[in-house]
Amino acid sequence: MQAFRTNGSRVLAIDLRGDAVRAATGSMIAYIGEVTFRHAGSGGGDGLLAGLKRRAAGESLPLMTCTGQGTVWFAKDAMEVTVVELAGDTLKVESEQLLALSDGLRTDVAFAGVRGVSSGQGLFTTTVTGHGAVALLSAGGPPIALEVSPQFPLVVDPDAFVASRGQLNQTFVTDVSWRNLIGESSGEAFSLRFDGHGVVYIQPEER
Amino acid sequence: MTPLNPTTLPDNDNVPDNAYAFCRRLDGQLFMQTGRMIAYYPAPGGPGIRFEPLTAASVGGFVAQRFSAPLYTRDWVVATGSGHLLLGDRGYDINSYDLAEGNLTIRAANLLAFDTSLELKQSIVPGFLTLVGTGTFLASSSGPVIFAEPPIRVDPDALVGWADCPSPSHHYDARWMTGFLGGAMGMLFGVQSGEERQFDFTGAGTVLLQSSEHAVADPHLLRQLEGQVGTLSAPGLTRLQQVIQQRLGAQQY
Amino acid sequence: MPFTKVNGKVVTATVAPGREVLARRGAMLAYTGDVGFAPVHAGQGGIGGVAGRMMAGEQVAMMVAQGSGTVHYGFRGLHVTVIELDGSGPLTVEADRLLAHDASLQATVVFLGSQGGIRGAVRGAVSGQGLFTTQLHGHGSAAVLSHGGTIAIPVHPGAPTTVDPQAFVAHAGQVQADISLNASWRDAVGRGSGEAIQLKLTGSGTVHVQASEQKL
Repeated sequence: MQAFRTNGSRVLAIDLRGDAVRAATGSMIAYIGEVTFRHAGSGGGDGLLAGLKRRAAGESLPLMTCTGQGTVWFAKDAMEVTVVELAGDTLKVESEQLLALSDGLRTDVAFAGVRGVSSGQGLFTTTVTGHGAVALLSAGGPPIALEVSPQFPLVVDPDAFVASRGQLNQTFVTDVSWRNLIGESSGEAFSLRFDGHGVVYIQPEER
Repeated sequence: MTPLNPTTLPDNDNVPDNAYAFCRRLDGQLFMQTGRMIAYYPAPGGPGIRFEPLTAASVGGFVAQRFSAPLYTRDWVVATGSGHLLLGDRGYDINSYDLAEGNLTIRAANLLAFDTSLELKQSIVPGFLTLVGTGTFLASSSGPVIFAEPPIRVDPDALVGWADCPSPSHHYDARWMTGFLGGAMGMLFGVQSGEERQFDFTGAGTVLLQSSEHAVADPHLLRQLEGQVGTLSAPGLTRLQQVIQQRLGAQQY
Repeated sequence: MPFTKVNGKVVTATVAPGREVLARRGAMLAYTGDVGFAPVHAGQGGIGGVAGRMMAGEQVAMMVAQGSGTVHYGFRGLHVTVIELDGSGPLTVEADRLLAHDASLQATVVFLGSQGGIRGAVRGAVSGQGLFTTQLHGHGSAAVLSHGGTIAIPVHPGAPTTVDPQAFVAHAGQVQADISLNASWRDAVGRGSGEAIQLKLTGSGTVHVQASEQKL
């Protein structure tokens, strides 16, 4: 399995030794060596069922597979890169904030409820399961990992949500009454409340 | 990345190792600009936190006494309740400032939140707000804020705010204006596209600077200007139209 | 050498007689002391008759800071990277990504169309900034702009570095940049019509790449 390393806080570097890695299409900024880039199939290359779900959901997760011998550098829109290790558990992540994932991980689509309905985001998140490394993107600064537990329920602005893992229950709360009044304001008219046990990753900037 | 929780989050400081996010422990009320709240932990057993527009009856009568910036009321809310509030602003660096019987004038878009013990007024410099009194406030800047002392001349887009020193005056660099492109563009006072005009600060105090993103038209400034256009007569309107066209033409850097 | 980093988006330069600084128009954020700013048309002599009307639109107006004082430079919240030139080769940077440089460096503006006709023009258009590049020669420092900051990737003889043209900021040393097509590149870059085109750097030196595919 490759080592995911960061060069500064906004660039991910991966050394390939004849193996492969999947990354967001268009995120490669430079490479040295012999590397080929192939579209990873519709739906992130994880089987017909995931692909169908994805098409039905209207969500797209364009990934490419990078194979070969050399070093590849990845980045996207100057967002901060954070590497998270999965040890058999599942990470739910906004698909546009997924930069790269190691080859052993499996991707799927999960229904996220009506989150994102007025902002035009998809109704689905991408789930990543298995053993390996995931590189996440965070806009506006490094992501913040917040613990959720029975004594610490958490409320999050949907446009700041990046990813979550654990046994979490997500509900909607209407605590932000100003959004209904101001026509020109963008953003959801509700917030996301998380209960249970797990971790939520947020970014310092609203999408 | 160790997850944070209310016991490890600061009461009034940046999120650890993150200049772009700020955590403020709320126990009462706080003035906040809309769109800056990214998450919060409601205090256990408490009423949670709610965010209401300044005009909401439930907010309280103190608003009228503290918030004297009519152009901006629609951009601000009062956060009421208890818990830990996390704020972020467009990827800008966020800092907390203490005022002790002081005053500070700051670009409206860069002010995130302030204690209800402070008073807010509109500055005579368009697009800026003045805070007066004793209390804490949060402000953001594109990149870490830079502190400088007068005497100094500052590009208008780079100015974040100033404290204690007198309001700035305009300085026009006549040499620059007459030299550029043989003077044809230079002679037109209305053209401000580069180094022709700066804010000139003197006295004792502090000036705050940033490398700002391209000045998106402050919607409040626009409303102010639109309101004033109605007072111009035909010759004035024609002159204004010329100035606008020159400015548009000079916009491509 | 005279550029001091204040933060990721701002540098200061100490201006003194004999140590002038050239910067793009609009880059001056603030100054103290007795400093005057005068316009300069960089590299005008090198273009000759070809540029003509093209220059007015394409070129970035430069200004020279003279006198005695300190100037803060930055541009629209973009990240600033200071690059030192040690004389081993020129620094080639897209004209509008150059924030400022020592006046002691010689600047020539290169019209990319002159390097091999269509290929040169395509290269300029593909890297997103147009047809003009600034080359700086000599010893001194320069400050360049990027979206999100840059990383420096070495270019070694025999191991060419391939770069997404939209992420390319500058190259330094004895480096040649050339353009070529790569069918599988479309998946790699994935954006717009310039997808299949890549920038290949050979020789010996450094390439500065930004963490974004966005133009400035």
